[in-house]
Amino acid sequence: MVSSSSLMMDTFDLTDSRTTMGGARCVLWEGPDGCYGTLTVTWTSAVSSPPVINPEVALKACQEVLLMDKLQNREGSAPLWLVSPDACSIKEEDEGDEAEEEGRLHRDPSPPPRPAPPSLLPAAAASKQSWLLRLFESKLFDVSMAISYLYKSKEPGVQAYIGNRLFSFPDSEVDFYLPQLLNMYVHMDTEVGDAIRPYLIHRCRGGITFSLLTAWLLGAYSSDMHISTQRHSRGTKLRKLILSDELKPTAPPPDAFLSPTRRTHHRSKSDATTASSEPGSGLRRTGSNPKVEAVHEEPERLRPQRELVKSLLGIGKRLATLPTKEQKTQRLISELSQLNHKLPARVWLPTAERQHHVCRIPHTQAVVLNSKDKAPYIIYVEVLECKSFETSPVPVRIPETRIRSARSAENLDCGGASDANNVGMMSEHRAGSFSTVPNYDNDDEAWATDDIGQLQVEVEAQTSSSDNISQFSVDSITSLESKEPVFIAAGDIRRRLSENLAHTPTTFRRDPEDPSAVALKEPWEDKVRRIREGSPYGHLMNWRLLSVIVKCGDDLRQELLAYQVLRQLQSIWQQERVPLWIKPYKILVMSSDSGMIEPVLNAVSLHQVRKQSQLSLLDYFLQEHGSFTTEAFLAAQRSFVQSCAGYSLICYLLQVKDRHNGNILLDSEGHIIHIDFGFILSSSPRNLGFETSAFKLTSEFVDVMGGLDGDMFIYYKMLILQGLIAARKHMEKVLQIVEIMQQGSHLACFHGSSTIRGLKERFHMSLTEEQLQLLVEQLVDGSMRSITTKLYDSFQYVTNGIM
Amino acid sequence: MSQVEKKAGLLRRTSSSKKPLKEKVVLMYDEIFAKEDPAKNNPRFWDELFLMKVNLEYLESKLESVDGEEVQRIQDNINSLFHHCIQALGEEHQIKVVNALQTLCALFRGVHQKNKSASGFDIINMLMGFDKAEQRMKDLMERLDSLLCGGGSESLKSLCLKLLLCLVTVTDNISQNTILEYVMINSIFEAILQILSDVSSRGQHGYDAVVLLALLVNYRKYESVNPYIVKLSIVDDEPTLDGMGMVVHQALTEYNRQYKDKEEENQGGFFSTFTSMVGSMFIADADEKLSVQTNEAILLALYEAVHLNRNFITVLAQSHPEMDIPTTPTTPTPTTPTTPLGTTPPSLDIILCFYLLICCVVMNNPELPLDPNLQTSNLLITFLKYASIVMQDTKDEHRLNSARLCLIILTCIAEDQYADAFLHDDNMNFRVNLHRMPMRHRKKAVDKNIPSRPLVCAVLDLMVEFIVTHMMKDFPMDLYMRCVQIIHKLLCYQKKCRIRLHYTWRELWSALINLLKFLLSNETTLLAKHNIFHLALLVVNLFNMFITYGDTFLPTSNSYDELYYEIVRMHQVFDNLYCMVLRVSTNTGQWKEAASKVTHALVNVRAIVNHFDPKIESYAAVNHISQLSEEQVLEVVRSNYDTLTLKLQDGLDQFERYSEQPKEAAFFKELVRSISLNVRKNVSLNTLSQGVLLKEFSTIS
Repeated sequence: MVSSSSLMMDTFDLTDSRTTMGGARCVLWEGPDGCYGTLTVTWTSAVSSPPVINPEVALKACQEVLLMDKLQNREGSAPLWLVSPDACSIKEEDEGDEAEEEGRLHRDPSPPPRPAPPSLLPAAAASKQSWLLRLFESKLFDVSMAISYLYKSKEPGVQAYIGNRLFSFPDSEVDFYLPQLLNMYVHMDTEVGDAIRPYLIHRCRGGITFSLLTAWLLGAYSSDMHISTQRHSRGTKLRKLILSDELKPTAPPPDAFLSPTRRTHHRSKSDATTASSEPGSGLRRTGSNPKVEAVHEEPERLRPQRELVKSLLGIGKRLATLPTKEQKTQRLISELSQLNHKLPARVWLPTAERQHHVCRIPHTQAVVLNSKDKAPYIIYVEVLECKSFETSPVPVRIPETRIRSARSAENLDCGGASDANNVGMMSEHRAGSFSTVPNYDNDDEAWATDDIGQLQVEVEAQTSSSDNISQFSVDSITSLESKEPVFIAAGDIRRRLSENLAHTPTTFRRDPEDPSAVALKEPWEDKVRRIREGSPYGHLMNWRLLSVIVKCGDDLRQELLAYQVLRQLQSIWQQERVPLWIKPYKILVMSSDSGMIEPVLNAVSLHQVRKQSQLSLLDYFLQEHGSFTTEAFLAAQRSFVQSCAGYSLICYLLQVKDRHNGNILLDSEGHIIHIDFGFILSSSPRNLGFETSAFKLTSEFVDVMGGLDGDMFIYYKMLILQGLIAARKHMEKVLQIVEIMQQGSHLACFHGSSTIRGLKERFHMSLTEEQLQLLVEQLVDGSMRSITTKLYDSFQYVTNGIM
Repeated sequence: MSQVEKKAGLLRRTSSSKKPLKEKVVLMYDEIFAKEDPAKNNPRFWDELFLMKVNLEYLESKLESVDGEEVQRIQDNINSLFHHCIQALGEEHQIKVVNALQTLCALFRGVHQKNKSASGFDIINMLMGFDKAEQRMKDLMERLDSLLCGGGSESLKSLCLKLLLCLVTVTDNISQNTILEYVMINSIFEAILQILSDVSSRGQHGYDAVVLLALLVNYRKYESVNPYIVKLSIVDDEPTLDGMGMVVHQALTEYNRQYKDKEEENQGGFFSTFTSMVGSMFIADADEKLSVQTNEAILLALYEAVHLNRNFITVLAQSHPEMDIPTTPTTPTPTTPTTPLGTTPPSLDIILCFYLLICCVVMNNPELPLDPNLQTSNLLITFLKYASIVMQDTKDEHRLNSARLCLIILTCIAEDQYADAFLHDDNMNFRVNLHRMPMRHRKKAVDKNIPSRPLVCAVLDLMVEFIVTHMMKDFPMDLYMRCVQIIHKLLCYQKKCRIRLHYTWRELWSALINLLKFLLSNETTLLAKHNIFHLALLVVNLFNMFITYGDTFLPTSNSYDELYYEIVRMHQVFDNLYCMVLRVSTNTGQWKEAASKVTHALVNVRAIVNHFDPKIESYAAVNHISQLSEEQVLEVVRSNYDTLTLKLQDGLDQFERYSEQPKEAAFFKELVRSISLNVRKNVSLNTLSQGVLLKEFSTIS
């Protein structure tokens, strides 16, 4: 009660009809059966709550809504389906037929069609309707609210309306709630499913990415159902439909979304009828779409990407059978090199922000990550950005060894053009030279020597910029010109050697048991530069490097849930301008036991830090960033505190467990990042009763913050308080994400009945700010003193060797 | 009727009667060698001929026995036979195709054996007639091409390749085989590539295809435009190149496996009873047994691919999940009282079977742990292992050639920037088990646990291994030169790209110093045959690289100190070398100039010795220590750098790039000749035992 009203207060703050709505508010959010919105209050009295949804009612509701809409809304923000009044009227006719059919086909001996209830149009009811509509139409009505209404409202009219309304939100905003939408589609009753379906179908037609994401998630969320029901479930059917690749943008985008009440099995028929009835509009729409022509030539749009994912997951499965990390890494490299032969292709990394084609996987850079019995691995992926990966042409393959010609072409625009600019020319030139010059080698040499010379120049340029002394040592060619002997001091050479070694950024030792440490420690910029230099595609302007972690045998659905909560809290904190820092990393669920993770760049685990550096965390900070008073150290310390506060709150709210040092990363700016949300909410590892504290706060952390009395530690506590207050204000937005996902789920984090209640309680809505401050003090105090944290760390050290 | 005659023919072969009955095909051959047109009396003569089982020996001997004048007489008939052979290749009846292919084989061989001295043009005239030669050969190549690329029988394809191999190797010197001019014009390169790109056909014919390609590339390589060279150099289709690599990989792996088999056979339990005293005798004995036939043809193919095709370099590092045989410790050291295996170890085939079995089980049951020794391999690793075996013994000429070719291939690899990049790739770590020669003064280090390192370490190990094991009276100067040059090229790359390789440089330094020592002590004998100053100069310049550019590629500051330590420790060698080169350069003689170059190159080494030696002595004197420890010497070195001035030498990081022409041309000519002989020998054996093949087709039809 309290929570819902508080949310409503927030959202309704700016509406003018605030007072009138006060009464109805409770009704809207209330209990299981009486929870109809204002629209239904009138109907329930008339229809006397039929056991199955009366199509008539749905129709009426819809017409009502549409009518209101037509009357009220002539602004620019009109939903896209109301382009012209003509279309609307046609649609309504269609709607009518549809509904009648629906009625006839209904299994239950439904009551004969009744006339519209007389009480439908009284003034009071109409006004109530109008405020709900006004809410729906208002600018404040966002995706979050739409999802919330869709979930909570049992009223088909509202559900249908929202199903339609989804079309008017920007795709990216709806995408965030895709897991919720799909989980509702899979696990909730037919009405919700039918309300969502047209939107899903529409989006699937629109894009390969959406299609695949949807198919993967559907598969994952359907897996919790019983086998027998699963096969015939809506989710599985839709998944099959998507994967059969029938949802192409060829057909005029189905106007299915115009008739939310339409049932699945009618779709194809009605599609045909509408297509024939409105050939003009259909043509116009497709005509403007350049994709249409291409579709016929590409029978399987989804296949390349599915193949890629399949092979990546296959590699993960095979790696798991190998006993040592070394073998795994070698095998990984060899398998990836085979994969490389098929690239570039119309494939992409779904974790990336921008459209691109994958052109190469620098296979030697891939490493196996630390995991006891699975074999997750990180791969780096070279991509070429493009306008649209669906329509832009796939880049042309450049052979590996062409790296050299590419390089010289880039650097010697004029000089290199004649010999190494163009591959085709190259071969011709080479072939041509045979007829005139009998000696092949000479030709080859001239080209190749040039190349080595090029390399020399590059390296020199690089060194001269870094330090002047060592230029001397590289330059033996220049000294050729001046015939006088040049003398150098042995001491200088020795000094340069140690200086050069000292200047290289601290790297980790290569450890066959922990191959990822070195790879992850390397600064991202350096890695990008290095890989770019070694890549045949590196000279292209739109070249980018991405990375992804492939996980096999792990259920990432909880990770996805955690990601959503983190993202939500992050945006709440941003909105409320509290400087808590967290880093949600993207998750791609591909099935209930596989997926991909966006790696956190420039970060290594605290375990790796300790093991490699053999220093305390504070000393490591001093080593990496400089002494206490330096700007760099202070910046790093601030980052550390802000991230600690962020994650302390996250850990408390979500009850994140299994917080050993292997699961906490430290990035190059000093932020900590918690990873692995395998144990959240109601689940904890083997329920041993370790980790009873609110979050992990070791004395090492406190040392980095400057000790218990330091300003930074006070700042830390203040941040937690501010963060909690901000989060509390928007609790509904967070709760909603979790709550919808609980539907039908067997995930461990939802074990027991009190998951949501517990989560809600941790927001402490009833406390005053003073009380909250006290609470934060207690939490911090308790966590710091917690013996179980220390116990858990030593337990992890003993069992898994994690320091 | 023919049945009876066939039996009679068989009888003839077994009995030694003087006037035997002849099989029908022999009669028909006789008709061809008669003056008349055989089809005159029997219009179906040619049809019938290709239905008969070919009698290769008879046909060949008949062709050989024809003398000068007769040639003129029967030329038309032979031309006709050749023509009909080609026509028969297009027949649907596969027996005919088989017989035609074999007849062609016999024709090529017979004619060439007869006319060893004759010019190619006479041979062409005799086989096809000048005026029609071009058309005939075009037809032949087209037919072969379609047979090779078509979806026909694999045995037919194999026979086609055999025919081509037979044609290519019919002369000792491939460049004198004039008929190949037509093979140049009517290229079958694409057919070869197709065979290599397809997995199944690669498995069956890949070897022949690769050898054929290697030979064709060497046809008049230095004199004219060889389209096969041109085409091979621009192939960039990865599956094809990969396929070629796989064929080479498999052949080399097979060799390594056979060698290992033999080695382990010889080293059954009783090896342990022999001590190092009789070791040398025993090893000499074992060596004989260990010599597995080297395979220069496949090595040549690898060389041509690496040398000609830049894209092939990537294939070297292409790893294939390989079932590498785990190295079980089969040679118990004499000190261990209990020998795990008293008898000979189980044959590797059994181990392999067992292995596959385990793997199968594991596929189904991921819980089962796999052998941690299982390694992913790639062509380069296999090649390095192969090289390590071949280089062990260079007394045999074949092995010497193989070793030289291996070093040439490594030279090409070391010069290639892409290859260098992956050789030094810190992420590509492998354990490479190189074979080490058992020697009197060291134990055979089989069980040494080799760490996983970048591949360049294995290359350097191989070079060091070669340097320390070949200091013998019959000094392989040429190989040593290549070896040191390879090291130099790798160092140049490291310097340029500032790669700090974690390698035990000390081993290299001491190997090089020992080499200098050997050169000094065998000065007179070696000088009779070789220019030892050239090698000495290269070695000294390697040290100069380390001294002047060590800051750019040494892994730790300590390693630079160690370099000085090593030089000072072995200063005697450098002193002696200096004396020697000084002596030679002051005398007038052919080595004057070469020796004086070495004197100049030694300037920094001598500066180091002269600078530190007195410092160390005085340190010992001051501290009253007779024997300084290494740490103490290093301390002296460290504290006295600043007073030492070195001279910057020019061109240390420059090297002469490898070029086949003109330096290596003679070697390759000889090599190709020996490969040709070898291939010819093996092909003839194979083509004759085609009974199986005939059976296959007779049952089909």
